[in-house]
Amino acid sequence: MNIIGALWFRNIKIFVRNRIQLVFAIIMPFFFLYVFSAIFKTDNITNPVNYMLAGIVITTVFQTSLTIASSTIDDIVSGFMKEVLVSPVKRIQIAAGQLLSAATIATFQGIIILFIGYFIGLKFTSFFTPFAVIIVMIMVGLVFSGLGLFLAATVKNSQTFQVVVAAISMPLTFLSGAYIPLSLLPKTLQYVAYFNPMTYTTAFFRTIILEKTALTTEELVGEQLAFEIGDFVITPLISMVIVLLFGLVFLLLSTLVFTKVDFSRINRSKNKEEDIWS
Amino acid sequence: MKKNIIEVKDFVKKYNKFTAVDHVSFEVEEGSIFAFLGPNGAGKSTTINTLCTIFDKTSGTLMIDGKDVTHEKDAVRSVIGVVFQEPTLDNKMTVVENLIMHCHFYSVPKSEVSERIQFALDLVDLQDWKKAMVSSLSGGMKRRVEIARSLLHYPKVLFLDEPTTGLDPQTRAHIWDYIVKLQKEKNITIFLTTHYMDEAEICSKVAIMDAGKIVAMDKPYRLKQQYTKDKANIATSDEQGLEALLNKGGFIYKKKTRYYSVEVDNIPELMQLLSEQKATITDLEIKKGTLNDVFLEITGKDIRK
Repeated sequence: MNIIGALWFRNIKIFVRNRIQLVFAIIMPFFFLYVFSAIFKTDNITNPVNYMLAGIVITTVFQTSLTIASSTIDDIVSGFMKEVLVSPVKRIQIAAGQLLSAATIATFQGIIILFIGYFIGLKFTSFFTPFAVIIVMIMVGLVFSGLGLFLAATVKNSQTFQVVVAAISMPLTFLSGAYIPLSLLPKTLQYVAYFNPMTYTTAFFRTIILEKTALTTEELVGEQLAFEIGDFVITPLISMVIVLLFGLVFLLLSTLVFTKVDFSRINRSKNKEEDIWS
Repeated sequence: MKKNIIEVKDFVKKYNKFTAVDHVSFEVEEGSIFAFLGPNGAGKSTTINTLCTIFDKTSGTLMIDGKDVTHEKDAVRSVIGVVFQEPTLDNKMTVVENLIMHCHFYSVPKSEVSERIQFALDLVDLQDWKKAMVSSLSGGMKRRVEIARSLLHYPKVLFLDEPTTGLDPQTRAHIWDYIVKLQKEKNITIFLTTHYMDEAEICSKVAIMDAGKIVAMDKPYRLKQQYTKDKANIATSDEQGLEALLNKGGFIYKKKTRYYSVEVDNIPELMQLLSEQKATITDLEIKKGTLNDVFLEITGKDIRK
């Protein structure tokens, strides 16, 4: 527990020290909010700013947790993980520390955006909504930290890693309905979006944060919070189950891979292989 | 007789078909300094990495402090300290934060953490730098931080994989001071690899490795006795006279451009002989055999890849 706590605290410290990253992390979402809510004003959505804000909050949580957890690659490349390797520390403790800190930072950023959002019109009627929202953010943060850590533990080449992360996070973000309503996408891309875990994350989160849990199925489909695939309707509840399952798989996979991976394997320089074998 | 803290028997390590280490056996006495010498690719790092529980052996037994390196990894890890060839510090944190994190990893009792950190920082003269970010330190300082860090959990064996490679002579000398100080004060066993033969001179025992095998292993002075001869370089104004004298004494010599290079087994004997021609000798230099000579004698003079 001590070690997990120490690692958690370390990652939080790193995050707080990096002020530029912090400022950008807060400014960028509002830039997106301004641009996208102006472009995509669709008639069947009641309050476009709030609708968009919800999408932006969850996207921020998603991207932050993915980025922070995958920054474990830096610790592998810098050699720090080799220090861990020869210490009596259990690797699962390291994985837990990385996952928890990424989820914490992601949730924290989500809360900041919500807080600012409060001043531009986001209101909750129920006393419980803010708590539910925070719980969902922590959950989503953990789910995608799992994905981030998995990527960091499986990557072969640290130089292409940033590209890989971007190549994964971009389509997950833009084909989820968070920024661009799915109904505006071409049919083919809509089908692709159904395979995107972020689609369900966004739908489920919006239902909670916009307090739409009482809506009928038709209304949910109309607001794009539920999806009709053939005769089957994916309600926000089913969305939550999908996200949880996805998260469980990746949390398990990432810890599994992380505990097995050889940290000295990643090429740090072109002579690395010779260095190890000498 | 002191006990052996490291015992390696018939250690073999293969990478696919390539045999990096081939039936190597050796022991290291507790509290001694043991050096592994060898050209690049000789299998030194493979051996050290296997002893540090990073690589798995192909066959053989490796024991540290009576614990099996393959089957009791955690027990071995808690009694060893390691300084790798390449830095393994946390660049995003300060010096002291790195040290604190290490104490967490090794479950150092909380009440002792600050005292041990003070001691380690004093040892490597880094008190003034403890609040600095690791990324802002020079290579030599980073190495010193790593050495300080590796001592915090009071390891019984300290592994140093080329601890002074790439450092300037001052820093090298400092680091050696720390190493010797440690070995004397804390009775830590030190296992190191190095390219610098002069550094190996102060070790208690030296093993020379080449192509995966230990080709020689002994105390440095014995290796020198066995593999090198002392040499005397003599310059003279009377060349015929000197040659006659050396022939008389039965010395083997070579004529160089400005001096004679003479192989010497017994220095006083040579001095005695030379005193007969004191007046004509213009210069005399005695060269003791070095480990470098031993190394070149054993591993050959070809440049390795």
